[in-house]
Amino acid sequence: MSILSDIILILLNGLQQGAIYVLLAVGLSIILGTLKFVNFAHGALYLIGTYAGVFIALNISLSNGKLFEWGFTTFGLDLGFFAALVLVPILVFVVGLLMERFVARPFYDRPDTDQILVTFGLAIVVQELFRILFGSNSLPFDQPETILSFGSFAGIPVSGPVALPIVGNFPQWRLYVIGITAVLVALVYIMVEYTDFGLVVRAGTRDAEMVRLLGIKITRPYIVVFGIGAALAGVAGVVGGPLNVVNPTIGTNILVPAFLTVVIGGVGSIAGAVVGGIVFGLTTAALVSLAPAWSQVGLYAIAAIVLLTRPQGILGDEEVAP
Amino acid sequence: MARDTKPLNRRDVLKATGVAGLAGLAGCTGGGGGDGDGNGGGDGEDYPSLGNYPIEGDTATFGFNVPQSGPYASEGEDELRAYQLAVKHLNEGGGWVDSQFDDLSGDGVVGYTIDYVDGDTATDADQARQSASGMIQRDNAIMISGGSSSAVAIAVQGLCQNEKVMFMACLTHSNDTTGKDCVRYSFREMFNAYMTGQALAPVVKEAYGEGLKFYQLYADYSWGQTQQASMNQFMTDVAGWEQVESVATPLGTTDYSTYLSEAQSSGADVLILNHYGLDGANSIQQAVDAGINEDMEIIVPLYNRPMAEAAGGAIENVYGTLAWDSQIDNAPSKEFTEAFQSEYDRVPSGPAQVAYAQTLQYAAAVERAGTFYPPEVIKQLEDYEYDNIGMGSEVMRGCDHQAQRDVPVVKGLPGSEQESGKYYEIVNITSRDDLGYACDAGPAAECELGSYE
Repeated sequence: MSILSDIILILLNGLQQGAIYVLLAVGLSIILGTLKFVNFAHGALYLIGTYAGVFIALNISLSNGKLFEWGFTTFGLDLGFFAALVLVPILVFVVGLLMERFVARPFYDRPDTDQILVTFGLAIVVQELFRILFGSNSLPFDQPETILSFGSFAGIPVSGPVALPIVGNFPQWRLYVIGITAVLVALVYIMVEYTDFGLVVRAGTRDAEMVRLLGIKITRPYIVVFGIGAALAGVAGVVGGPLNVVNPTIGTNILVPAFLTVVIGGVGSIAGAVVGGIVFGLTTAALVSLAPAWSQVGLYAIAAIVLLTRPQGILGDEEVAP
Repeated sequence: MARDTKPLNRRDVLKATGVAGLAGLAGCTGGGGGDGDGNGGGDGEDYPSLGNYPIEGDTATFGFNVPQSGPYASEGEDELRAYQLAVKHLNEGGGWVDSQFDDLSGDGVVGYTIDYVDGDTATDADQARQSASGMIQRDNAIMISGGSSSAVAIAVQGLCQNEKVMFMACLTHSNDTTGKDCVRYSFREMFNAYMTGQALAPVVKEAYGEGLKFYQLYADYSWGQTQQASMNQFMTDVAGWEQVESVATPLGTTDYSTYLSEAQSSGADVLILNHYGLDGANSIQQAVDAGINEDMEIIVPLYNRPMAEAAGGAIENVYGTLAWDSQIDNAPSKEFTEAFQSEYDRVPSGPAQVAYAQTLQYAAAVERAGTFYPPEVIKQLEDYEYDNIGMGSEVMRGCDHQAQRDVPVVKGLPGSEQESGKYYEIVNITSRDDLGYACDAGPAAECELGSYE
């Protein structure tokens, strides 16, 4: 194997591993940046997104948990993956709104530690709820065979390996994960940077009081920001779910890497979250390839180096950082 | 049922006094001054106090320490079901208690009613030790059973040796459990990585041919390390294959894609995935997604049902070994499957069978000894021969407390042929005569069991 193919593999693997973290980190980062709210329940939104994805896209047989005991032997609507990709963000957006209203809002003016405690508690509640309903057993979330199949159109095949030049076989779905992430992040970026809504949000981030004095109701954009962050976590659950098997701990497992991505990239900056995710993914992929024993340490080492040398993160703005 | 809060009794006071008197030694079972006359049931023989013996009252408590979270949680859940079933059968009869274990009456054990407490090891050695410690200190458990993760089993059996409480190992497959980390107070029914290597090598040599190159990924802890070493040994010596590389992956890794890319570009013909539980389900699924099964043969040395269930069709044609399977055609296997199914409406997994067997095995040894006094129970189990748990004729070897038993070799079924409880076909049940090692060879050479008292 040539060095070139090694480098390309590291890039591809790094990008796809980073992609899921980018989706989560963008949501976390804008919520943290605009609302100054530390949301440890963000992983729970990912969890909800994944299970909702399984429910909408597939129809799987159950063998565990209360649902099974109550007589449900199958679970799912079998509407296909594309339906999940469209419906899950809407569903998790609504969950995000509810979370904002009933969990986050009463805690906006409370210290960070209170916010961490309440959201972490919520994350555990959600996780255990899923464990009770579905059992600890892992559910298979098969990668979609095709997407966008309508009538006579067979759809675009997305699962299985695809032969790439130089590197050979690569799991096709992982390339789509990179693509879907790129499109979604670009959409959010455009919304925040180039729309009136984005302007209000950014202004509110700088000086909420002044925005209010100018007669703009800032609460509503904030709720929407929370919902968008949640929806992104939901999408991450749908596109990331099929990469691994699904079980109730995936939400808490992904939370720490997602937070590290925010830390590395910089709070409140979409570009920062993207950079953080890519740095994170590439480092892990490169270390696994070159020095596997150090792959887990490398991530935390990078986070430590960034915090020591640039506490606001690679692209973070010192004023915005809480 | 679990964790009853009993009022303070004499033994608790003695323990507290002992602990207070020996500051710094908190955690020891005190009560050294006890005269051992606290027998409440039929445990008539007078033996000195040792560990949690004698038992106060007329209820003996077992501690079931299983992973209820972490990568092996699915296995733990099924183990716990089997433990609960075993306790029910010990107290009320049913299952193997009625049909296979003549020593057991179905009316408790030597006159004591059996109760249990359960704990979560979180698939983590430290947490498991704390949990077991609580069962021994707080709940006065007379026997601990559990596992799924050899790191956990080794940590807990070490604790049990110190506390003089018996440990009936459930799912632990590392060579070290009954090798260099073996202890007098622990017994293992499950076979080990060494025997898996012995059982698999001839089968895969037959299936894939000689002179192949293989690449290994392994979970980076006791089990994975000994597992990859044994696979290397037997694939090299027996199958005549050559190892290209063996790479450690952290326990609980979710994304194996980069590791798998490396394996794919290594030029090897065979990929051996020494991963278990959720890790195994993830790594094999991702290997298939990457198309590795088109270029390489995949082997998963240790399988189980929850793992196959999670991996789905990805296990098609993948060889491995497993503890036990409900498809094994003999009376004990069928009886256990029926009892489990009628209780839980589901097919039991291999780890569940081991959990159930180990609990009854301990209880039967207590009955034969006529007492819960650990050294007597241990002597009943050492070199004990049995043929009642569905895995053929077995002996619990005295020199290393490792059961000498048959090992089932299986091959994964395609997704379309899988159904609940049936995920693989049994290729061969390798006889114990073709497996194992002498007491002074293999892992047993490093085993020193330690004292009875």
